[in-house]
Amino acid sequence: MFIRLLSHQWKEKTRSNFWQKSVIINIVIGFFMLIMFSYLILLGLFVDELIKEIRPESDPFVVFSGAMLYYLCIDLFVRFMLYSLPKINIESYLHLPIKKYKIINFVLTKSVTNVFNVLPLLVFIPFTLKIIVPGYSSLVGLTWFVIMFIMVINNSFLLHYLKRRFVDKPIIAGVFAAVIILLMILDKFNIIGLSAYSSLILVYMVNNPITILIPLALLILVYYINYMYLKSKMTVEDINVKKQKKVDSLSRIKYLDSLGELGEMLMLELKLIWRNKRSRSIIMMTPLFLLYGLLFYTNEDMSNPVMLIFVGIFMTGGIMLNYGQYMFGWESSYFDGILANNIDYQKHFRAKYVVIVAMVVLSYVLTIPYAYFGLNILLINTATFLFNLGFLSFTLMYFAVYSKTRIDMTKSSAFNMQGMGASNWIMIIPFFILPILIYLPFNLLGIPNVGVAVIGSIGLVSLILHKSLMKFVIRRFEKRKYIMAKGFRES
Amino acid sequence: MIQANKLVKAYNGTVVLNVPELKIEKGESFGLVGNNGAGKTTFFRLILDLIQANKGEVLSQGNDVKNTVVWKSYTGSYLDEGFLIEFLTPEEYFNFVASVNHLSKGDIQKFMEDFKDFFDGEIIGKGKYIRDFSRGNKQKVGIAASLMTNPEVLILDEPFASLDPSTQIRLKNLLKKLKEEKNMTMLISSHDLSHVTEVCERIVVLDKGNVIHDIKTQEDTLKELESYFAV
Repeated sequence: MFIRLLSHQWKEKTRSNFWQKSVIINIVIGFFMLIMFSYLILLGLFVDELIKEIRPESDPFVVFSGAMLYYLCIDLFVRFMLYSLPKINIESYLHLPIKKYKIINFVLTKSVTNVFNVLPLLVFIPFTLKIIVPGYSSLVGLTWFVIMFIMVINNSFLLHYLKRRFVDKPIIAGVFAAVIILLMILDKFNIIGLSAYSSLILVYMVNNPITILIPLALLILVYYINYMYLKSKMTVEDINVKKQKKVDSLSRIKYLDSLGELGEMLMLELKLIWRNKRSRSIIMMTPLFLLYGLLFYTNEDMSNPVMLIFVGIFMTGGIMLNYGQYMFGWESSYFDGILANNIDYQKHFRAKYVVIVAMVVLSYVLTIPYAYFGLNILLINTATFLFNLGFLSFTLMYFAVYSKTRIDMTKSSAFNMQGMGASNWIMIIPFFILPILIYLPFNLLGIPNVGVAVIGSIGLVSLILHKSLMKFVIRRFEKRKYIMAKGFRES
Repeated sequence: MIQANKLVKAYNGTVVLNVPELKIEKGESFGLVGNNGAGKTTFFRLILDLIQANKGEVLSQGNDVKNTVVWKSYTGSYLDEGFLIEFLTPEEYFNFVASVNHLSKGDIQKFMEDFKDFFDGEIIGKGKYIRDFSRGNKQKVGIAASLMTNPEVLILDEPFASLDPSTQIRLKNLLKKLKEEKNMTMLISSHDLSHVTEVCERIVVLDKGNVIHDIKTQEDTLKELESYFAV
């Protein structure tokens, strides 16, 4: 039975739409994954060098072990935020004569195979082989690895339980994160040294391999709790966790009403973004882009002018990029309705443009304080802001018209490339490379400020021409709408 | 009112719809029946300019639907859930449709009043998004929204499917009333032969994309259709 269930899952995965893309996109995705994996392996291989750099007199193994307690806590938090519980089509099995415990065991066992459990191994295995085994002994290495592996799996099960219990209360995760950060700060100033305990415990355990039984017992306990919880909730409506849905109060914002039809369409955009998981999670993540500046401005090596242009485009346009490239894909589930209804495309596009303008202006205003790092930075950010506002906004809309993959809005955006098409990749070129290409010749000629001015002027001119640009994009849209609609209908 | 000329739609070389000529007069109630894959939805999508024909054209009041948008202001339609904006509540959705059609607050009020029976207390004031409603209730929302503007032309694809029995009867009565009082032109497809013969005065049978029967509804039309579809 177990094998058969497993084969169904396997078929579900291999037949999923995720793979039904062009070969090139699969290769590109594969390439990025490969890069990510190799970074993790490199981290495992060279983390000892890093540690020696910071604390030359200490034992890397002890220091690394000291971080493990924090790692496990952070891991739990990250999982809580990013990991969506596997939706098991349990409906298709519940009515069949299959013993419940088999289904529960299957659900739980299957969850072990998720990527969050695999990624840490990419660090732990090289670390064990390169650092622990030569420095201590194979037994110590093996013990350490087994302990960590069990703890990771432990986290995985613990998360399952927590997520099912507390899905309505993300605030708990927030408090949890705050406590961890507080503990880390206290640790840093040697007030409460949790990392010392962490390494003490781990070092003691690897010296007494029998203590593996402790995490093992913990694992059995967590599994049992999960098992009992699932057993008590073994009905269709309980097992596929859904948040308690309540209608939000967006409708009560009366200001937009006064804008008439345009206001109504703006409201639709806001609701689209806010009420769907995919769009909301991506937009909520984007404020992080604004912190990008800190990374670059504080670092002498990275604050060369070309980089600054890149950072400027990214900070003032990052949010727009995330919204703009999917502006039609997100509508895919009701695109037929948009076409058949008496909707004025002009206004429909205007509403989208207003959203873009609001995003870009807001991003720009928030980056103004970076002027603290130099007026030059303010100047560059202003130019890139104009470039985003006037030029890239329409470029984005133009490319968005080429999207034709239905996007499932109910999934989180993290690690989610469903609905990404070739146009999303091509968009990157004008976005990040074009401004730098414009700037470079002026920089070489020794008049970099003129380059910045040209970038800004292109934005300004496009802004003045925005009515014609809009018409151009809409004409394109009217030609492409059949292809878009056809693609969007295919789920 | 609506006219198809030499209309051909093919997917990958397979013709799924081939209508040399079909005219639907103003005020006519036109029923479209046929098995799965007969081309009913394809025909409606062509009339609504949702897909492109390989050959031929659809005229609405003499204008090609591809090149004009005037028809949108007098055509109400509901084909499937792809017409619904599911993250809105029904009230929000009706307001949206009203807004793009420039209806007033009073119009919306009147609409809600008129459709009170049809909704049967299931739709308004539930505090739920459309995506959380059952299929039948979603269908009610879609059908009601298509009628908000008092359109001259109404296009419904299988409106009776997944409605509960009472609502099916209410819908039939509503459609008959709209025809009598407003002389509304109606294009309705259905798998249910008895419903469609009851509501429509003209029935067209599609089979593999071809019109094979075009009949005025009479006493024995239902029997005729049943014998045609009998296996």
